[in-house]
Amino acid sequence: MAMKGSRGYRSGLVDLQAGEISREIFVNEDIYAEEQERIFARAWLHVGHESQIPKPGDYFVSSMGEESVILCRDRASRIHVFLNSCRHRGMKVCRYDEGTAAVFTCPYHGWSFGTDGRLVGVPYFREAYHSRLDKEKWGLIEVAQLANYKGSIWATWDPAAPSFTEYLGGFTRYLDLQLDGWDGREAQAEVLCGVQKWLVPCNWKFPAENFSGDTYHNISHRSVDLAGIGPSGAGRRDMGERDVSRKLHVCIPDRGHQTILYVLPAERLPPPAYMNAPIVAEYFRHCEEEKRRRRGEEARLVGAPGEIFPNTALLSRQPRTMAGWHPRGPHQTECWRWYFVDRDAPGEVKQFLRDYYIRYSGPAGMTEQDDMENWNYAHAASRGTIARRHPYNYDQGSGTAVTDYEYQGLSVPGEVIDLTEVQSSEQPMRNFYRRWAEFMEAGDWSQLATWRGSERKAAE
Amino acid sequence: MTGPINVRELAPGTSIVLVDGSRAEIVDNPGDGVWLFARYLSSPRDPTLIGQEGMIFAQDVAALGEPTTT
Repeated sequence: MAMKGSRGYRSGLVDLQAGEISREIFVNEDIYAEEQERIFARAWLHVGHESQIPKPGDYFVSSMGEESVILCRDRASRIHVFLNSCRHRGMKVCRYDEGTAAVFTCPYHGWSFGTDGRLVGVPYFREAYHSRLDKEKWGLIEVAQLANYKGSIWATWDPAAPSFTEYLGGFTRYLDLQLDGWDGREAQAEVLCGVQKWLVPCNWKFPAENFSGDTYHNISHRSVDLAGIGPSGAGRRDMGERDVSRKLHVCIPDRGHQTILYVLPAERLPPPAYMNAPIVAEYFRHCEEEKRRRRGEEARLVGAPGEIFPNTALLSRQPRTMAGWHPRGPHQTECWRWYFVDRDAPGEVKQFLRDYYIRYSGPAGMTEQDDMENWNYAHAASRGTIARRHPYNYDQGSGTAVTDYEYQGLSVPGEVIDLTEVQSSEQPMRNFYRRWAEFMEAGDWSQLATWRGSERKAAE
Repeated sequence: MTGPINVRELAPGTSIVLVDGSRAEIVDNPGDGVWLFARYLSSPRDPTLIGQEGMIFAQDVAALGEPTTT
């Protein structure tokens, strides 16, 4: 493997001092294999949303890294996440995308598992196993930790990982923008229709870094902006808030989470954004007023694309969507996209948003197609022997982030770069790859929870 | 000789005969073609099973209805 050895990930392949990152981390098969162990087996990963499994017995087959997992609700309505693999010979015990089941039965030899994971059915248990098989020991493999954060379900295989909220750190503020209601009530989101899934021939980190906050590639979407696919029918989807707000890059150091964020001026509501649909526009006007009443100054925050390390993207404003970038080998990513609405939104609003969301995002979305083309060709052009010798440049805006950002009385913690004048920075990507390198080097969570030392010192 | 029984089509309330001669009544069918939930009506092998519910493996279902006497 090229560039392996004493130089290490941080000082070699990921050199943030020089603003350079080796192409090897995107195309090298050994590094990819190491990612599965060091990142996807240890990080918190997004699995789904509780609105996808409302009743006992409901399940949704999801993915954690390369692993197929079952998100399900047992008879007592408790939520579980299990490895989708029979304990006898490994066959998938569930081969549907979603549904309702009393048991998950392996079609190979017939071992059967309850929705609580227990092994309940073993063919010829009495005759072939002489009633001696310890069924309690051979249930489905369950994740080490599961968190239900405002309806979104997250899990990790690592029992030593910190709690999910500690893992998020200050990024809860931005995940809340995704999951709380448009009118400021807590945890109002539900998944709209199904989940879109498609394959892109690129490494999973291409979409992950793009959604970390790449504002530099907007030229790629110029044709979409010219076509005016936004919900008001003209210009960019976010032109209203962009033109009146401070536009920021916000990074949570030590966590690897980052986002674009708009901060409205004091006393200012977001500009109207659904001018082609008066009923929808009126609904959102009402919601924005309610949000300001409930949340006060916090309602000045308007969400934009962001990324929770390692592979979950957020977009809380519009289209309101979350995405997962599931690794399927170093050269392929399976993209999943969930769309959200407030569960008690009028049907007409949901229908309008459904049409707009899929026009914008997903495999047939005009904007996402632009992105896919970039990732596809960038990856392919980085695989060759010569190409691998030359690193990518991540120097944009180095050394310009501040840690005490405030705008008209509203504080924004984290490493922040105000993009309003400079347009773009690569601080989010540097934050993402700094964390990536830490995961690739750290032995365990005692080394990965880098913030605990500084919090201890502050307490002393 | 009859062919294998398609257990996916068996509705709750159906009476079945097992290969060990037990009789049972289906209480639920998960529809996976592998298992049935049934209550034992009789069991020559283990009379304590009578009245209990258990999971019946499809391969153990010998016939429908009353056991054939020979």
